[in-house]
Amino acid sequence: MTAAGLQNLAGAAPEAKASWPPPAWLHPAGLRLVRLHLASRRVPAALAALAVCGVVMWAALYWHWVLGSGTGAQSVPIVLEAGTASVVAVTTSSPFGELERAGVRWLPWLRLGTAVALAGAAVGALCAGAAITGDLSGGTLGVLRNVAGLTGIGLLAAAVTGGGLAWIAPMAYMVAAQYAIIAGWTTPWLWPARPPADHGAALCAALVLAAGVAVTAFRGARDPASGD
Amino acid sequence: MSAAGALVRTRPPRAERASTVSVARLLRTELRRSPWPWMIPLLAALFFFDPFRTAMSYPPVWGVRASVITNKLLPDFEAFAAGVAAWAGSRDGRRGATDLLTTTPWPVWARRGVALAATMCWVLATYLVFVAVLYIAIARASSWGGPPLWPVAVGAAVLAALCAAGFAAGTFFPGRFTAPLVALGVFLISVSVFKNAVGSTGGYTLLSPSGVVPNPDIGVFYHYPPDLPTAQALFFGGVAVAAAGALGLFAVTGEVRLRRVAAVIAVAGVAAAGTGAGLAGTSRQEAYGVVIPALHDAASDRPVLYTPVCGDAGGVPVCLHPAFRAFLAGTVAALRPVLAEVAGLPGGPVRADQVATQAMNGPQASITGTPPVFHFDMLNTPGSFAVSTAGFDDSLRVGFVTAFVSGSRISGGALRGGTRPAEAQIAVQAALLEVAGVPLSAQRAGLGFGGIQEPPADRARIFAVAQRFAALPSVTQHAWLAARLPALRAGQITLAQLP
Repeated sequence: MTAAGLQNLAGAAPEAKASWPPPAWLHPAGLRLVRLHLASRRVPAALAALAVCGVVMWAALYWHWVLGSGTGAQSVPIVLEAGTASVVAVTTSSPFGELERAGVRWLPWLRLGTAVALAGAAVGALCAGAAITGDLSGGTLGVLRNVAGLTGIGLLAAAVTGGGLAWIAPMAYMVAAQYAIIAGWTTPWLWPARPPADHGAALCAALVLAAGVAVTAFRGARDPASGD
Repeated sequence: MSAAGALVRTRPPRAERASTVSVARLLRTELRRSPWPWMIPLLAALFFFDPFRTAMSYPPVWGVRASVITNKLLPDFEAFAAGVAAWAGSRDGRRGATDLLTTTPWPVWARRGVALAATMCWVLATYLVFVAVLYIAIARASSWGGPPLWPVAVGAAVLAALCAAGFAAGTFFPGRFTAPLVALGVFLISVSVFKNAVGSTGGYTLLSPSGVVPNPDIGVFYHYPPDLPTAQALFFGGVAVAAAGALGLFAVTGEVRLRRVAAVIAVAGVAAAGTGAGLAGTSRQEAYGVVIPALHDAASDRPVLYTPVCGDAGGVPVCLHPAFRAFLAGTVAALRPVLAEVAGLPGGPVRADQVATQAMNGPQASITGTPPVFHFDMLNTPGSFAVSTAGFDDSLRVGFVTAFVSGSRISGGALRGGTRPAEAQIAVQAALLEVAGVPLSAQRAGLGFGGIQEPPADRARIFAVAQRFAALPSVTQHAWLAARLPALRAGQITLAQLP
């Protein structure tokens, strides 16, 4: 997309709102903007990576890579949940930096939509992988909570380190969570160590996700000049 | 010789000096560009929460505390080292600068090598700082021995291998998802290999440094067995060399001579890794460590000489290895009541000695020799592995009383090498334990170390007799035992014959 195109889109939005019912993002230029945004974030590759994580989840459960049925049973799923969250966090990296921030009015919404959609895809991929074998420790609710919280951590990290290195934070949190599970810690801020239906843990994970999404939407990942 | 020839002859030293300076400058630039410093606070937090705290909860013995390097510190480091190396390796490809950099005077292999070296420097420096912190803390707490270097060497080899493999993955598959996927893959491999390695008694799975669970007294009674660490270092060192060679071998451009050298290095690395794997395949778990026949030095089987530290438990010396000096007072206090009960009786030990823990055989207790000596190990020390002081005391007392009354050797919490105790023996054991401070209620719950495993109805009957025997005056108990202990040990006394 050229700068002119962006200008047109920015200028066309009020007109479209006044003259035609479909919102601006359904305008051909808007759809193109969405497509280009997704392409610039390597979303197709991210979806492929998430699909791989789903397949690995299936393989881990099918071939019993998990350790027993107690706390060890959670080790592999949490690693994969952190992996999917890392993939989502890495997509926040923008190759355009300030140019993009200055030129696209819809950028916060695009970032928001991309992050939320990819987080949903991550949950879907892991749940689909687990559903085939059907013996996932913690169930869908646990996957939803853990991926949401880990994604929030990754998105927050992206604002600090840049999108390219944002994978570090979910992975580090995952290591801490593994230790918390073994040590029997019960703080809700280490939500993977709590039961899937635990309200406190769900609330903490939701708060972290909300903070991460908000920071990503309004601020974006750290400037690529010092990162990717 | 012409003037031009003289000039040519004077060039190499200057060029060499300039090249060294250039390498140093490039290395410094790479060190400054590395994202690893972002990792250090996170890894420091993980280090203090996991490896450091775990090590400090172990007995203050060098070998077992140093085992956290391979069992805890490495798993915390592995994925991040590989991921950051992949990130560094994929830089040229991510930025679309591969073609641009091809025209630089430096060979591709050299540029990649410097970037890999910078990543390795950061990773290994951080690792060694954490190891130093850990070893200083261990040195302040331990009373005997010195720092084992094999776990440190194996850890360094593993990290070097992961850095090189991660860097190669990033170089050959550049992209923003390479680093997290490499880290994820390393985590998964680590978890999967750990699952297969734990409890393994030999074979290739022992290549995993984090899968070997050491005895609490490793390196105390016998030298730290270097067989398996040698094979592991060879394997992971080979992987590192092979990956580094592959960076030059599969470079798109470069001199043929350099690529040949890279090929030789890669092949040497593969050979070393294969040799290490092959050696590990022949490994087997022995009583005091893992043995690889091709590497094993029989000299390392000789016991380590030491002067035991002893305490007095009512006239009976209780001796421990000096590495376990911190537990001497507790051990003496735990054994004093039971030793006092059997003082003067036939078969009563004249001494209690700590012996080496045998791998995977569980706690040991026996009374052997002439004059009789009580032998016990220190598998479960108080404050370690969730063992309380009361649990430690009970474990020692149960082991002693069972060995004394039944004449059986306890191994792994079960009786070995002898017949199952008769009902009268169990009743006397229970009574002696009750008097020594191990309540019948605790014995009913099962003590796990020779604990009484009778059907509930029989147990109630036996414990009723035990209660009655325990209520007798100590003089009466002593006199009865002095008269009938040989018959009791031989299983010739019935429950009804107990007073």
